[in-house]
Amino acid sequence: MDSWVVAMMLGASLFLGGIALIAFLWGIKTGQFDDEKRMMNQVQFDDENELNDAADQQKKRDALRKKDYRPE
Amino acid sequence: MSDVKCDHCHLVFSDSVMIHDEELRFCCNGCKGIYHLLKDEGLDSFYTKMGETTLTPPDQQFEASENFDSPTFYERFVTLGEENTAQISLIIEGIHCAACVWLNEKALHKMPGVIEAHINYTNNKAHIVWDVTKLKLSTIIEMIRAIGYNAYPYDASMQEVRANKERKEYYLRMAVAAFASMNMMWIAVAQYAGYFTGMSQEIKTILNIAEWVLATPALFYSGWVFYRGAYYGLRNGAVTMDMLVVTGSTLAYFYSIYITVLEKGDAYFDSVAMIITFVLLGKFLEVLSRKHAADTLDVMGKYVPSEVSVLDGDAIRSVRVSEVNVGDTIIIRTGERAAIDGEVISGEGSFDESNLTGEADPIFKRKGDNIISGTTSIDALLHYRALKDYANSTLSHLVNLLENAMRQKPKIEQLANRLSEYFSSAILFLAIGTFWVWYFWPHTFDRALMVGISVIIIACPCALALATPVATIVGLALGAKRSILFKSAAQIETMAKVTMIVLDKTGTITQGRPAVVYATYHAGYDRSVLLALVSSSKHPISLGIAQYLDKTEPMIQTGGISEVNEIPARGLVGRANGVMIAGGNALLMEDMGIETQTLSDKSLFYYAVDGELCATFELQDLPKENALESIQSLREFGLRVVMLTGDHTASALRVAGAVGIDEVHAHVTAQEKADFIDKAHNEGHVVVMAGDGVNDLLALACADIGIAMGNGSDIAIEVSDIVLLNDSLVSLTEAYAISRRTYGLIKQNLGISLIYNAVTIPLAMMGYIIPLLAALSMSFSSLLVVGNSMRVKWMYK
Repeated sequence: MDSWVVAMMLGASLFLGGIALIAFLWGIKTGQFDDEKRMMNQVQFDDENELNDAADQQKKRDALRKKDYRPE
Repeated sequence: MSDVKCDHCHLVFSDSVMIHDEELRFCCNGCKGIYHLLKDEGLDSFYTKMGETTLTPPDQQFEASENFDSPTFYERFVTLGEENTAQISLIIEGIHCAACVWLNEKALHKMPGVIEAHINYTNNKAHIVWDVTKLKLSTIIEMIRAIGYNAYPYDASMQEVRANKERKEYYLRMAVAAFASMNMMWIAVAQYAGYFTGMSQEIKTILNIAEWVLATPALFYSGWVFYRGAYYGLRNGAVTMDMLVVTGSTLAYFYSIYITVLEKGDAYFDSVAMIITFVLLGKFLEVLSRKHAADTLDVMGKYVPSEVSVLDGDAIRSVRVSEVNVGDTIIIRTGERAAIDGEVISGEGSFDESNLTGEADPIFKRKGDNIISGTTSIDALLHYRALKDYANSTLSHLVNLLENAMRQKPKIEQLANRLSEYFSSAILFLAIGTFWVWYFWPHTFDRALMVGISVIIIACPCALALATPVATIVGLALGAKRSILFKSAAQIETMAKVTMIVLDKTGTITQGRPAVVYATYHAGYDRSVLLALVSSSKHPISLGIAQYLDKTEPMIQTGGISEVNEIPARGLVGRANGVMIAGGNALLMEDMGIETQTLSDKSLFYYAVDGELCATFELQDLPKENALESIQSLREFGLRVVMLTGDHTASALRVAGAVGIDEVHAHVTAQEKADFIDKAHNEGHVVVMAGDGVNDLLALACADIGIAMGNGSDIAIEVSDIVLLNDSLVSLTEAYAISRRTYGLIKQNLGISLIYNAVTIPLAMMGYIIPLLAALSMSFSSLLVVGNSMRVKWMYK
């Protein structure tokens, strides 16, 4: 048996695992696991309203930024 | 009549006392107001989200919200950002469930100027960003109050930010280490299978390289904390456990690279990753259970008003507390907290001094009386002259003393730290010795190096590093199950070494509220009318009577009364079935021309109907249930138990006699309590202080361990190290028992890991250890320690 098959499989699985690890680290860094109690309840508050709410907040943020750019 | 649930807070009350609003029932106007507000705002899906949770009915007494717009306040708590935005960190009170978080965020998001509002459910801290051109901070706070919560600011101090960052950093490092060593394990399975069945060098090299790839981030990223620790240790001239970990894993790592590249046999990469993972796990657990000293002083901010109203001629000005001069006339309104000591010039009303003296009764003040800073006006609107400036006032004095005490808190060195220093030095010495002996006892350099490294690896302080954290975590969990909250793991060890316990009287040994001990009936009367009368007041005596009636007369209902008036420092007067009813102290009876004769050292409550005395109740602050047994068992542990109280000698001795304490000091001020504890320290005692009031604060901070009662003042809870959530003295005894048990466990664990090493190190020195054995022994010793700790958890159910 060619040993490069072993090498390739090891490499591929470590690569995939590495991607998962990086995603997890990104999740920690951006504070997605900071609030453990909230995380457990998040599913209750994850519907259309929440999306609308988030969109509204984004609009407000954009509006604020635009206001400052307005040439006068 | 049946009991129904309030439609807002879900607390259950008798239908007769509820406010009826068509089909809806509310327990108070606060709940009703919030319900309609949420309905109008389209936020009533809150009620479906909250499910069966019950809320606290809203508190109507708030400090004025205008304070939140003052420049002083902004300077202290608000960070101004770009584009007219401002940020503040608030602690939201009253959050019970995820729906509460949802409601607060939603309500804030709906406000036009709020750009971002994020609430952490775990610690109830909110972060709000808003547009200062559109919105005032007071409006935001009022919104939070309107929906039934309360918010107060806290200084997101550098210290806390740093603590959170450290925690997150450990999280990241732990994730990488765990990933590396877990993946390493399945590669190792292949490797060790090959070790016994034969495997070509080519495959061996491939496996080694894969392990190399995994071990590198584990050692240099996750293990970075050990390099840092070892460096600081060396700079202070100490060989720490970090040093041992670093030398062992680095040497093993480079030795393994050498083996891999030259294709010489078995690598030690798995041991490297494993050492780092296990030891890091121990550190990680320690970081998780560390107390944030930072949070404590945040809460102080809530207690210190930043501005006061000063009368300047005819005008009223808001002046910073630090700019008030002696002799200025200060105005204090209902609900405000005094910031400066002074003397009343005009006006009258009652003050709540409970957070300074522990005295629960409102104190009535009129012209000539002294105002003490830190006390709150209940219903008083008065003018008073400043007798001291802010820096010399009681409140600021207390804050300063407290900050000093917190900083100088005695620390007892932990057993494991001391032990690991000796251990690390000894192992490094042995490893170097082994290497030289093997090298000069003719062996190749390779072989000698390998044996030397194997000594360090086998002695890897995995078990030693886990011994303390695992045991303390078990201790913390045991405590939590019994409503004992240890704020930091290290305190368990200190608690176990305690020799003296100092107890406050009111609220700690006693229940902190008067209960009826004796009742005399002079004439027949309608109990339900009396119950209605006392239920209309929140005065502790009224509550005591109401409780007594509830207990002695089952099935009692409140009767109809009208025109109830509370007369400060006197009692209650009302009208029922057209006749005058009155309940209160001797002064009230005197005013009404009713004669009373009873003389007693207890508080008395008289009840009269239509000018005729019907009943006399004697009330007393009774010791808590099981107080006697708990104190007895503390003494059986060989502890010296002392009672300190600000109360007068007679009542102190009475309580002490009832619970069996010999050593009593009465008439003790807050400062003297702290001095007493300092004196005990000088005599060589390790002291626990248990208390609940603001008058115990200094003592709590001075003691080695401060224990607060769960329903004590917030700030006492903040300052203390252990909180007894159920207020019971039994928990105090249990806290001590659990600490002793846990400390015993720590010693056992340390013993196990040392004995383990005593067996394996000689084997390693003789060169019998191969990588497989090293890895197995490491896991096995860690398992032993963890298993031993778990055993206690099961035994102590």
